[in-house]
Amino acid sequence: MDFDITFTPEQERFRARVRSWLDAHAPKDFPDLADPVLLTEADYLKQRRLGRELGDEGWLYPTYPREYGGGGLSPPEALVIEQELDRLGFTLPPYYDSGGKLGAASIMVWGAEEQKARFLPPILKGRVRTWQLLTEPEAGSDLANVKTTAIRDGDAYLVNGQKIFVGSAHGADQSWMIVNTDPGGRRHQNLSWFIVPMDLPGVSWAPMDLLFAGNERGAASGLKQTVYFDNVRLPAFNLIGGENNGWKVAGTHLELEHGLMQTSLGRNQLMERVFRLCKERLRRGRPLASNPRTRDLLADMHVDAQIGRLFHLRNYWLQSTGRPISYEGPQAYLHMKRAALRTSKALHKILGPYALTTDPHWRLEDGHLETQQRGSIVAQHPGGTVEIQKVIMARALGVGRAAAGKPDGQG
Amino acid sequence: MDLSLTESQEMLKAAARELVEREFPKEVLLDLDASAGGFRPDLWGKLVDAGWLGALTPAEYGGEGGSLTDAAILFQELGRGPVPGSHLSAAVLGPLIVMEAATPEQKRVILTDVPTGRRILAPAITEPDYGWEPDYFTGTTASRLGGGFLLKGVKLFAQNAFGATHLICPAAVDGGGLGLFLVDASLPGVEVRPMDGFSSGDCEARLDNVEVPHSALLGGGAVNGWQSLERAMMKAIPVLCAYQVGGCERVFEMTLDYSRSRVQFGLPIGRFQRVQDHVIDIVNLLDAARLTAYEALWKLDAGRPAAAEVHTAKIVASEAYYQACNAAHEVHAGLGIMREYGLTLHTKMSRALYHYLGDPAHHKGRLAEALAL
Repeated sequence: MDFDITFTPEQERFRARVRSWLDAHAPKDFPDLADPVLLTEADYLKQRRLGRELGDEGWLYPTYPREYGGGGLSPPEALVIEQELDRLGFTLPPYYDSGGKLGAASIMVWGAEEQKARFLPPILKGRVRTWQLLTEPEAGSDLANVKTTAIRDGDAYLVNGQKIFVGSAHGADQSWMIVNTDPGGRRHQNLSWFIVPMDLPGVSWAPMDLLFAGNERGAASGLKQTVYFDNVRLPAFNLIGGENNGWKVAGTHLELEHGLMQTSLGRNQLMERVFRLCKERLRRGRPLASNPRTRDLLADMHVDAQIGRLFHLRNYWLQSTGRPISYEGPQAYLHMKRAALRTSKALHKILGPYALTTDPHWRLEDGHLETQQRGSIVAQHPGGTVEIQKVIMARALGVGRAAAGKPDGQG
Repeated sequence: MDLSLTESQEMLKAAARELVEREFPKEVLLDLDASAGGFRPDLWGKLVDAGWLGALTPAEYGGEGGSLTDAAILFQELGRGPVPGSHLSAAVLGPLIVMEAATPEQKRVILTDVPTGRRILAPAITEPDYGWEPDYFTGTTASRLGGGFLLKGVKLFAQNAFGATHLICPAAVDGGGLGLFLVDASLPGVEVRPMDGFSSGDCEARLDNVEVPHSALLGGGAVNGWQSLERAMMKAIPVLCAYQVGGCERVFEMTLDYSRSRVQFGLPIGRFQRVQDHVIDIVNLLDAARLTAYEALWKLDAGRPAAAEVHTAKIVASEAYYQACNAAHEVHAGLGIMREYGLTLHTKMSRALYHYLGDPAHHKGRLAEALAL
C-alpha cells in the first residue's frame, strides 16, 4: 500500500508552471476572513477575475473536456492546481460556485449536444457564477416533494414558487433547479431539471436571516437567499434531460455532493491553528496544551481529523482509479458533520468563553474559532442531514435488503 | 498512491482466509474458548505448517522476513475468527523484542526456533499494579546471583503466556535499569496459570526465585530494555490493530447478514432505521480502524516516523472493535448472547484487546507527546 499522493516529474513541472502563473495572477494580500459573510463586493470581484483567468487556462474546471471549456486534465493535475491555490488561501473555483460544480456534472451527463455547447463553456470558463436551487419550505430531506411548478406554455415553461437556502452574497448569473412539471403526476416522475438565467423577468431574491457562517471550507458562501419565481417564462431549451426526468438528472450531482468532492485533501487549517494556539497561549502561566484534559481533547480532535482525511483520501483513490464506490461518499460526509460538532465542543471546553466571542479586542485567531462554533451547526444540513447520509449508506450497503446493484444480496 | 494489496498479498490473504475457515470453524473456536488458556498443540501445528509463525522472523533464521503489512494481512484474517492463542506473542511481539534487544548470538539461538514453533515466545510485561508505562514493569526484580540472575515477581494479564515455552519479562536489575529476560517456562519457580473471566488469553506468570543464566538477559550486559521494548511494541501494535480490524470486519458481516434474514413486524429488521444506525456505526468504525492501521503499517514499512500514526491506530482500533461488538449485540439481541452463535467470541476478544499494549487513554497521552503538544 502507499498512502502518499505522488506526482510524476511531468506533473511536478506542471506544478511549477501553475505556481509561477498564480504568482502573476492571484490577488495579493487577500483577506483571510473568519466568516465569508464579511467578503466585500470588491474582493468578490477579484475572486471572479481570478476564476475567469483560470478558466482561460482550462484550470477552473480542469478535468472537463477542452471542447466545453475545461482543461482536459487528469485528477492528479487537478489536485496540483487545488494544492497550489490552497497554498495561497484560495479554493477551486476561487468563489462559491457550488451550482457550477454540481450543475456542470449533470449537464455533461444529461444535456443534449447543443445544450452542452451553450451552457457548459460559460460555467467552465468562469464567465458565470451559478447557484443551485433545491430546497423549498416543504422539501428539505424529502427533496422530491418540491412544490415550485413549471408548466409548459408554448416554447417555454411558466415557473411559480420559491426556493430557500440558496447560494451566497453578491448574486448569481444563473441557477439550476428541480421543479415540479406534473403536479398531478407520480412521485419522482413529476420532476424536471432546468437551468435558469437569473435576469428573467419575475425572478427575485432576498437574504435569509440565519446563523451565518458556512463551513464548506473556503467555498463557503456565508449567506443564503430565498429566491422567488413569479410567472417566470423559462425557455424550453433550458430543460436538461427531458421533461419529468429531473430526479435522475439530480441523482448525478447529488452523488457528488454526498461526499465525493475532493476539497478535503488540503491542509487542515483549523487543526494547525488550534495546536499552535494551545501551545502558545498561557493559562495561569502555563501553556493550554500542558493541561492533561486539554491534551486528551486535542488528541481526540486529531484522531477525528485523521479519520476524515483518510476517508477522503480513500474516496479520491477510488474515484481517480475508476473503482466502484457505493457508501463511501456519504460515509466521509457523515463523519465530517459529526466530527465538526465534536470539535466545536472540545474547543469550547478548552477555551471556555473565548471560543465564542467575536469581540474585536478579545477574540482569538481573528474570530476563526468563533466561526467554527457556528459553522459546525450550519454544516449539518447542506447536502443532506446526517440522517439522510445514513439512509443513503444503508441502501448502498444493503442493510435489510439486497445491496444496491448486487442481485445476489451480498454487500 | 495505491490502497490496494499487491498480487502476492492478495494470494496471502486468500490462503489465510481459506486456512482459518477450514481449520478454525466456529465449533473449534467455541471449544478453544472453553479450554484452559485457549491453547491446543494440534491447532498450533496448523499455524506452524502454514509458516505463519515466521512471518516477521528474518530469512537468515528460517523465517519469511516479511513486511509488517504482510504480517498484518495474516493477522487480520486470524482476527476474523477470532482465532485465539499465542500467535501474536509468538510470531509478532516476541520475535520483534528479540530482534530489537538481543545479541547476534541470542538472535540466532532464539529466532531459529520461532518459525518452527519449537520456541513459543510470550512477552509477560504487565504486573498487578497494571499499566503500560515502563515504571509499571519494575515490581519484578532481577538480582545478580553468581554468573546469572535471580528473578522474583508476578507478571499479570500476560497475554498467551500459557502454553509458551519462553517468557520475555522486563525486570528491574539491581544496580539500576530495566532488563529484558528470556525465561524458560520449564525452570523451577516459574508458574503460569491461565485466568478465567470475560477476557481472552490472560495469564498470571509467577517468578518465584527463578535462577536464570546471564545469557537470559537480552542484549548481554544491556539494561536499557525499555527502548528495545518500546520499539518492538510500536511495530507490533498496528499488527494487533489489523487483528482487531479482522474482528470488526467479521462482526460487520454477521450483523449485515442478520439484518437481512431476521424478520420482525413482517419486515427484515434491517429495514428499520434504528437498526440501520447500528450497522452503519459498525462500518464506520471498521473503515476508520482499517485505514488508520494500514497507514501506520505503511509508514513503518517505509521507514518513516510513525509514532502519531501508531498511537492513532490503536486508539481507533480498540474503540472500533469494542463499539462494533456493542452495536452488533444491539442488532442481534437474544441471539447474540447465545455462545453457539459466535458473536460473544468477538465480544470477549474486543474487551481483552482493548487495553492490551495500552488502552486508548494511554495512547491519547502518547499521541499528544508525538504531536509535540
